[in-house]
Amino acid sequence: MIRQLKRWQMGLFALAAVLSITLANCAQQTATPTTGSSASPASSDSAAATALVFGTGGDPVNLEPGNFEDSNSGYVQDQIYDRLIRFKPGTAELEPGLATEWTASADSKTWTFKLREGVKFHDGTDFNAEAVVANINRWWDEKDALGFRDAGKTYAIWTGLFGGFKGSPDSLLQEVKAVDTTTVDIVLKDPFAAFPAAIASNYFGIASPDAIQKAGANYGTPSSTAIGTGPYILKEWRSGDRVVLDKNPNYWKGEPKMQQVIFRTIKEPSARLAELRSGSIDLTVDIAPDQLKELQADPNLKEVRRPSFNVGYLALNPSFEPFQKKEVRQAVAMAINRKAIVDSFWSGLAKTDAHFIPPSMQAYQDGSLKEYEYSPDKAKKMLADAGYPNGFDLELWYMPVSRPYYPTPKPIAEAFAADLGAIGIRVKLNTKDWAAYLDDRLKAPGYQAFMLGWTGDYGDPDNFLYYHFSPSGTKDIGDWKSDRVTKLLEDARQDSRETERAKMYAEVDKIIYEEAVRVPIVHSEPLLAQRANISGWQPSPLATEPFDAIEKK
Amino acid sequence: MGEIGKFNFTLPLPPTPTHTPTHPHSHTPTHSHSLPSFMLRYIGKRLFDLLPVLLGITLLVFLFLQLIPGNPAVVLLGPRATPDQITALQEQLGLNRPLPLQYLSFLGRLIRFDLGKSILSGVPIAQELAIRWPATFELSVAAMLVAMLLGVPAGILAAVRKNGWIDNIAMSASLLGVSMPVYWLGLLLVYLFAVNLHWLPPSGRLGVGIQLQPITGFYILDALLQLNFPALLDVLAHLILPAITVGTIPLAIIARITRSAMLEVLSQDYIRTARAKGLVERWVIMKHALKNALLPVITIIGLQFGTLLSGAILTETIFSWPGIGSWIYEGILARDYPVVQGGVVFVAIVFVLINLLIDISYAFLDPRIQYK
Repeated sequence: MIRQLKRWQMGLFALAAVLSITLANCAQQTATPTTGSSASPASSDSAAATALVFGTGGDPVNLEPGNFEDSNSGYVQDQIYDRLIRFKPGTAELEPGLATEWTASADSKTWTFKLREGVKFHDGTDFNAEAVVANINRWWDEKDALGFRDAGKTYAIWTGLFGGFKGSPDSLLQEVKAVDTTTVDIVLKDPFAAFPAAIASNYFGIASPDAIQKAGANYGTPSSTAIGTGPYILKEWRSGDRVVLDKNPNYWKGEPKMQQVIFRTIKEPSARLAELRSGSIDLTVDIAPDQLKELQADPNLKEVRRPSFNVGYLALNPSFEPFQKKEVRQAVAMAINRKAIVDSFWSGLAKTDAHFIPPSMQAYQDGSLKEYEYSPDKAKKMLADAGYPNGFDLELWYMPVSRPYYPTPKPIAEAFAADLGAIGIRVKLNTKDWAAYLDDRLKAPGYQAFMLGWTGDYGDPDNFLYYHFSPSGTKDIGDWKSDRVTKLLEDARQDSRETERAKMYAEVDKIIYEEAVRVPIVHSEPLLAQRANISGWQPSPLATEPFDAIEKK
Repeated sequence: MGEIGKFNFTLPLPPTPTHTPTHPHSHTPTHSHSLPSFMLRYIGKRLFDLLPVLLGITLLVFLFLQLIPGNPAVVLLGPRATPDQITALQEQLGLNRPLPLQYLSFLGRLIRFDLGKSILSGVPIAQELAIRWPATFELSVAAMLVAMLLGVPAGILAAVRKNGWIDNIAMSASLLGVSMPVYWLGLLLVYLFAVNLHWLPPSGRLGVGIQLQPITGFYILDALLQLNFPALLDVLAHLILPAITVGTIPLAIIARITRSAMLEVLSQDYIRTARAKGLVERWVIMKHALKNALLPVITIIGLQFGTLLSGAILTETIFSWPGIGSWIYEGILARDYPVVQGGVVFVAIVFVLINLLIDISYAFLDPRIQYK
């Protein structure tokens, strides 16, 4: 037996040795960047040349419109589905998608969408008003037969953006109906000027009702289908590994440039950069700012910056006694050296300003506001005047996870603590698991101070401001509210005159600046990267971009 | 769970292991050829014993999940959630029911082999396991091959040349192997062999240009079944770096255990006798000493293998390996209860079964062991 074992072992050794040599040679042939004249196996090379490989940080949660909130699902769904309205490439401005035009009634409650004619889903069925109504009912109506709520589907994003489901008093929607095959009316309970922008957000791709019917509750999962009208067609989804899409030759905007788009799940940012450098992926997202130098040093790569559409803030909860006084909150805002912090932790991929909403929505800001001056002396005096000459103890919570607006929360929190220490505020830093972090901040009285942020869903200030500053929004800063802000936010929802809305939001901007309950720290530009031979990628501030125009040379 | 990893055997008289100096295993016992009935009975009993163990595991997993603060509704809704929305979603997900009721319905489904669906993605747990498990298994086997094929010979050599330079190098290297952060080693290998040398792919299981129809989910097997040799080579190429990364720690442990077990055996009388009667030294080492030293080595190999089969979170993350470890880990972060419960129960069953296999393998190595 021993002799056999030994022979068996030796055999394996030999096999392993031979294999590794063969493999090494073989892999070398295929992996070396081809310069055109290589004689390496044609099949894999040609596939690589016609396929665009995109490295994402995770699998899609699902490929089912209206039932996801993560960007990984969004990247893939942007290829498979179209929405009624889309965003102009590289901006948050609206342009026609599956709807060619949309108009509001005089009371801004009824929105009429004219649909594009002659568009077909990937399964050959017609895109029409019926399909739009079926999709919206699936998200909105808890009793809808295509919704499969009993299988655990939640459509949580719908309540996030539109208040509630059908029958709920919070539901913004009143009715949706097909007027004729190419016209859909969406009736709202209250006027909502940002409705077109909200329905344009990339959660709401239009899927083939026929395909949903056929696939049932499994629709949009790895073993099932996902059928839209978009530039690429789902071919295969290997869970935890990749999603493969084929070109849709009949795409209504014209034939997409690549034969295939492949999304590969590569969780670790440094592994994504390694893949990009070795040439096995073409584009990737969410590179850590501290890897910018490595990226710039490689001539085969190009850095790509996503226009900023987020805010990282420091919340100061007025339930905590010292923060009841506005002056104390302002003193905190003045004590933090935001510029120095942003410069050192974001590698120049961010800016700090006075506004809560990001710079791309400048039209809605109060341009006269200057960010709080960094002045520990003044801050200290303000504290003393407010009755805290010796400062106070403060528990500051920092996030346990990295987000584009706070890539490295802990060291940033330490910098805050050092700055606050300089004016006598003794900071104790705390964190906890992400799910618990989010949950516990909502439990009264909430955290004394905490770091959090927001990335916009669509290009309207309502998306940033209503949730954070209306009493109907989140409840993580105690009972703080400003009647004036509440009124302005409600009015701006109902007014569709852009100049009026801009004025209202500018006033909100000024009040929340002075109130300093959520001190804006940063608007960051998420760092993306591509191989130098890729062209046509216009990163969207909203992280929603169809790849039909991207080419590989 | 205290029973896991233990084996029940009794030694016949005399209780002290003394070996005949001539040929320790000349009287080959019958049960090394086929499984006799008492062995089958033993296996049956051990499988039956699994039930309380599994019941305990389900209860522990369930309770631990309840102990972690936060819940799936919060994670699903993210930072945008309002308290009302969270309550409503909890209700919809059935998380407001009394805990015993939730546990019983989980057990009820388990008995019908229904592991449920992921709350987050809606994918059936069984379906996800069918993808994740082969990936983890393939990686674990490859890693154990690396660990055994290098670890056992290194341990033997170190023992035979005790305090010699081979011993010193092997033991220093294994100390390094045990203490090296897996994460760092993985990234180092990627940068060296993938980014700089372009010898091997940096991550994943299969190149994007390679066509391979999954049949079993075990890619090596799938490639062989379809006689798809480009795919086979590609799969193996993708396996090398992660296997080395995962295999390093077991390799080091195996080398150290083999060395100490060999040293112990080599100091025994029957070895001296074997040498005295003029047997070739290699024969003494490989046949007389090694076989008797293998018991603890097999135990450790089994335990290491069992551990690997529960997934290697860090390595899976670095190498984008769609295995079971990172899947359960993400399930925990997302409070995706069905994923964690189903995943852990599955892994536990595998672990217990591996231990059973080890126990059985003892009989083949040591005929004095009887099973009851």
